[in-house]
Amino acid sequence: MSAFSKPKFIEVAWKDIIVEFRSKSTLSLMVLFSLITSMLFSVTVPVSYAESIGASLLWLIFIFVGMLGYARAFVREVELETLDGLKLSPIHPASILAGKMIYNLVLMFITEIVVFPIFVGVFNMSIKKPLLFFAILTLGNSAFVVAMSSLAILIIKSRSKELLLPIIAFPVVFPVISSTVFALNMSVTGNTNGILEPLKMIVSFSLIVMAVAFLTSEYAFID
Amino acid sequence: MKVIVLENVTKYYSRFKALDGLTFHINKGEKVAILGPNGAGKTTLVKIISGQMRANSGKVEVMGINPAKMSIELRKKIGFVSHNPMLYNELTAYENLKFYSKLYEVDESNINKLLKMVKLYERRHSLVKTFSRGMKQRLAIARALLHDPEILILDEPTSGLDVNGRIELLNYLSKLDKTILLTTHNINEAEKLCDRAIILYGGKIVAECSIHEVEKIYMSKMVSL
Repeated sequence: MSAFSKPKFIEVAWKDIIVEFRSKSTLSLMVLFSLITSMLFSVTVPVSYAESIGASLLWLIFIFVGMLGYARAFVREVELETLDGLKLSPIHPASILAGKMIYNLVLMFITEIVVFPIFVGVFNMSIKKPLLFFAILTLGNSAFVVAMSSLAILIIKSRSKELLLPIIAFPVVFPVISSTVFALNMSVTGNTNGILEPLKMIVSFSLIVMAVAFLTSEYAFID
Repeated sequence: MKVIVLENVTKYYSRFKALDGLTFHINKGEKVAILGPNGAGKTTLVKIISGQMRANSGKVEVMGINPAKMSIELRKKIGFVSHNPMLYNELTAYENLKFYSKLYEVDESNINKLLKMVKLYERRHSLVKTFSRGMKQRLAIARALLHDPEILILDEPTSGLDVNGRIELLNYLSKLDKTILLTTHNINEAEKLCDRAIILYGGKIVAECSIHEVEKIYMSKMVSL
């Protein structure tokens, strides 16, 4: 083995990325779903409202798309019965979880890059601080990915799997949803006084969820 | 030297008792078959021994370690082959073994040797989804042997294979010089591969015998039960 071999969680994430890019089963659906929802919003919501509710709508799209896509990282392993292979391998469950989080972050980032300019263009949104807006969107989405990936390991043994995830997830991720919308609206208007508070909330939430998930992952993987 | 020790192991699924006070041991280098009809508790037993499941009570030790502790060191000593090959369809045969070699922290150079052993070297760059069931099972054996485990657990490895596939797979397995625990409901497979048999029925051990007596004892036990 090479002296500079990648950590095991990177191996898990890299494997998932290769599998996804060959099967095109999740990312294409996520991007397509985001674009269709953007189009639907553009015909149902008057453009004049774009500035006041545009950020919320965009965030809503990413929440829906996340519900659709992030659990797949685990559910696919269960459906193909490859999760047993991981469970039997000498890898700590926390590393498997970390690998899945990184893989989901990659999916999220690609979806964001495709959907963000299209959504802004369709709604003709004028964002006073676009870089800050994109940074907050990415931070909020990252927290959402962390929470969804962590919760996904709890639903893999259930029968309804992906259907159960939103029901469990919404109450948990509510603080991230409200904080991100609050911060996004500030970056749209350019009035960023007090923006640190929601950002601190998002970061603290991510760290706490991640810590709890890593510490308890072992119990989620054994029957 | 005892490598697998079970003492009074019991497992419940809700109120259903899947394993009822199992006690036995397996010595180093022994090849032992766990025989029994469907629902006897064979898969539950191997899941407990391999650390995928916890027993409700009793003592389980593999190489002196409780497998439910999910010890990384123990997992490096166990190879597991089941009816499910645990392979990624969208990866090639080589990529699958490379991925697992990283997890097991073993040298990649072993991969080609194993692929030649299971006669898949020529197809090493083909996606696993293009493989037949028999080819996938052969690749699963290569995966289980990647880290040169001391114990090989085989949970109905020939399930779903045609006659040729079964013969081929058993030939590979019979050449291995390892401690083997095989679960099967097929007496012929047990006779070909193992030296000793433990017969399970309804989660209980109903007989332990040498492989030479297994057919007679198995038939008499199944008739009497």
